[in-house]
Amino acid sequence: MKPRLFHSVFLLTAALWCGTQTAQAQDDSAPMLPRSRFRSGEEILAAFSPVSAAATNSIVEVNVDGDAVALGTVVDAEGLVLTKASEIKPGKLTCWLATGREVPAVQLGVDKDEDMALLRVQAEGLKPVRWASGQVVIGQWAITPALAETPQAVGIISALPRRIQPGRAFIGVRWSPELSVPRVEGLMPGLGAEEAGIKPGDVIVAVNNELVTTVMRVSEIVQAMRAGQTVHLKLERGGEPFEVNVKLMVPGREAYSLRRNSRLAGDTSQRAEGFEQVIEHDTVLPPWLCGGPVMNLDGEAMGINIARASRVATYALPADLVQQILARLKPASTSQ
Amino acid sequence: LNSTRALQGLWFRLVGWAFVFLALASARPARSQPAPHLVVPPVLAMPAPAPDRSGELPVVFRRELPISLSDLRAIQQQVETLVPKISPAVVAVELDSGSADGIVASGSGVVVSADGLVLTAGHVCESTNRSVRFEFPDGKVAHGKTLGLDEDADTGLMKITGSGPWPYAPLANLREASLGEWVLALGHPGGFDSKRSLVVRLGRVVSVAPGVLQTDCPISPGDSGGPLFDIQGRVIGIHSAISSSMAENFHVPITEFYDTWQELAGVPVPATPAYCGARAVNDAGGCRLSAIDKDSPAAKAGLKVDDIVLKIEDRAIVAAAAFERWMAEASPGQTLKLQIKRGGKLRIVKLKLE
Repeated sequence: MKPRLFHSVFLLTAALWCGTQTAQAQDDSAPMLPRSRFRSGEEILAAFSPVSAAATNSIVEVNVDGDAVALGTVVDAEGLVLTKASEIKPGKLTCWLATGREVPAVQLGVDKDEDMALLRVQAEGLKPVRWASGQVVIGQWAITPALAETPQAVGIISALPRRIQPGRAFIGVRWSPELSVPRVEGLMPGLGAEEAGIKPGDVIVAVNNELVTTVMRVSEIVQAMRAGQTVHLKLERGGEPFEVNVKLMVPGREAYSLRRNSRLAGDTSQRAEGFEQVIEHDTVLPPWLCGGPVMNLDGEAMGINIARASRVATYALPADLVQQILARLKPASTSQ
Repeated sequence: LNSTRALQGLWFRLVGWAFVFLALASARPARSQPAPHLVVPPVLAMPAPAPDRSGELPVVFRRELPISLSDLRAIQQQVETLVPKISPAVVAVELDSGSADGIVASGSGVVVSADGLVLTAGHVCESTNRSVRFEFPDGKVAHGKTLGLDEDADTGLMKITGSGPWPYAPLANLREASLGEWVLALGHPGGFDSKRSLVVRLGRVVSVAPGVLQTDCPISPGDSGGPLFDIQGRVIGIHSAISSSMAENFHVPITEFYDTWQELAGVPVPATPAYCGARAVNDAGGCRLSAIDKDSPAAKAGLKVDDIVLKIEDRAIVAAAAFERWMAEASPGQTLKLQIKRGGKLRIVKLKLE
């Protein structure tokens, strides 16, 4: 165990050091392709505009208190929209449309398992997406349109559809074995507790504002949460109370901190694990642009982008699964 | 001077990132495997490059940019056709760290000959004669060893011990990759995952510098050593390093493997090198003779400046370094058969070294 953990600490250091080197070496050297001609540069994206321009009325930009948090996929002409649930924090919910209008929206239901939320948008002229049928093929273009004429970004289907296991998450502390009180005995290097500055000897008194007195209760609360979520802890150190937020992580083989937190992975979604089935594509997509459709060259939605998972992968829930989720969410919400 | 400094910067980056990539160490217990006895033939030849068939590609690949949906369809069609052809030769590699705790380092590689030569990154090999477990996309498993590596170039070579024949991928010929060229990156980001298998990414060559190809194909730890294919399906590079920018994915050009083949294949250098008297440079046409010493064996054999050396002893010569290596490895008194091209005509020349 020890050497591996040492390894990751060393790697992180190396990573940061190299980042600095890169910044310095970036200037003149070799000729570069103009950015506009990169795979997702504007000159390349322009070729996709027949697909994306036709899709703009099938997409909304979801805002919470004025901040863009996700895209949404229009699934019927009455203004039903599916989006990524975990990005919709409490607050004033509105949607920007391709027409340039901002309209109010309400959340009708949530599928926690697949992280989908159903919204109703007060607007006319929305056009439901057409769903693609049949299997995706590795190498197919995966187009992520947004509100503009040209797509937000493009990539290809890069792996076959599969289930993504939920990751079991940890705060990253070891408990005193002979005590039932949640007193920290040691820290797992590289995980959230260490990053948050928790030290051996600290005692946890509350988790997410619930007072706790046993290790067992702390574990229960944490186990109901997912990797990437943040847990709020109240602790005591030498009788002095203090509070920290700790990000839940998965320790082990994939060096979680490298994959999720570091500059190597770029920005990834907080909720990026635990899906019944995903299509993996290599589109570089910021996490706040999940929730919209991913389309093929025929302008059909192959699925809905559900997570930016790593440097190399964006996940989309496939069209047939999305339609099942919609069927589950719809009756409860429309028969109010 | 400027460019020298830029190059040093690149090396920093590459060497530094090599550490990052090695990182895919896991606590999975090392699988017990029979210690394979590897018989390395005295000289392992780098496979000859496959011919260039770019003329047969759809017109979009001769354009700077796709301009229509039909261009995009042509790209998609090409990628969809290519992936099943090139995937079988791409392997996940797992190396025993040799330590008691069973830590396993993992990366990727590509088989390039039917007898099981595997190109990978130098930092994946880490040292020679390490046991390697290879996992093919269809789940088949093979065992072998690391043969050699060049740390500076980040080139590495492994060999599967089983007899094969193994599925293998063709190599690109020696040429500069061109800016904007469409490429496919294959490999196992995050290590081998049986539910996912390998991951395919499409991108473009965004920068070409000596010893380094840069693409916007997103790669990540675990991809290290995996192949970068040109759009004809030939290996043109091996994944080496990344930075925090999504557009900074670095690959070792295939030419570096030709240039470091001696270290990779462990070819012994004779104590007294033979004298040839010709020097060669890389040229668009291949390996071009740039200077011939007066009264040297080369001059006596009738070789002339600007001759293009195509073959030595029926083995393809694609780079000046390959020519120099032949000369370095030959013994005094040995006669080599050279196939050369002069003014569009092919000739055979017998070169007796001194």
